[in-house]
Amino acid sequence: MTALMSWLEWCSNTRIIVLIRDSSFGMPAVQSVHLVGLTVLLASILVLNLRLAGISMMNWSLPAVERQLRPFAWTATAFVLASGALMFVGNPAKYLANPAFQIKMASLALAMLCQFGLFRRFFRSEPDSRPRAMNLGVAALSLTLWFSVGWAGRAIAFV
Amino acid sequence: MSLLAWCQWLEQTSLATAISESVWLFPIIEGSHILALPLSVGMILMFDLRLLGLAFQEGSASRMMRDVVRWSKFGFAVMFFTGGLLFMTQASKAYGNVFFRTKLLFLLILGINAAVYQIIFFPKMEQWEAGSGAPLGARVCGGLSLIVWIGVIVCGRTMAYQF
Repeated sequence: MTALMSWLEWCSNTRIIVLIRDSSFGMPAVQSVHLVGLTVLLASILVLNLRLAGISMMNWSLPAVERQLRPFAWTATAFVLASGALMFVGNPAKYLANPAFQIKMASLALAMLCQFGLFRRFFRSEPDSRPRAMNLGVAALSLTLWFSVGWAGRAIAFV
Repeated sequence: MSLLAWCQWLEQTSLATAISESVWLFPIIEGSHILALPLSVGMILMFDLRLLGLAFQEGSASRMMRDVVRWSKFGFAVMFFTGGLLFMTQASKAYGNVFFRTKLLFLLILGINAAVYQIIFFPKMEQWEAGSGAPLGARVCGGLSLIVWIGVIVCGRTMAYQF
């Protein structure tokens, strides 16, 4: 753990990270990438869940919607993770001690666990084979979890 | 009254001061403004991808437009409401800020772009929506929307760093 922390501290003092953290346009640029990525990623999750709930995109099958969105959702994920990592390594100790950051990471882990574990079969098969209430419940839960990650992320700046 | 004087008056209204002085209101309004991005801009970007021929190519374009625009209306209602409140609290700083002005200019361009699409390309959608690609003009509208919306997000995020 101390080895990891000292490595993170070393990272936070590298020239590129210092430049991003301390220049006037570094953080706005990195955060802009984070926000654009978040917009595409959460919009994909929104469209997917609206289809699962039987509310939108009903002329497409759910697996087909998932296939269409996949490249954009994963590209957005890559940008969100990369920009998030750049913010984090600028001030690792500060982020780790921030309760909103801790909640964000916990809800992110929970959201991913549900999306790729518990809920996986719901998004990989036709919703018609299951009761509507079950699909609505999963969609509401999935959206709540993913948007909690965003809210906790916004709270980092305020706590 | 000049525009700047109006901005200064706006900041002094009891609504603006109540938001600025509250511990919870400002973060909740700002958080709602950002978390409404996927519902507003995100949904429009999904349709831009369809226009550009990058996704959902096999389905009806007008059907998809109905599906996403219906939801983005809620998103934009939240955006304009929360954005208006945020502007009130820091109106005179925003007034002189180059990124805020650029953001407004971009929004104007996007409004004109959407109107052009609605008037010129929307009525002809039946001609190309079944499989074949959108006409060049409609693609230009989609591409412009995609790029300028990203610009709006960049300006919005950057202006807050200068307050």
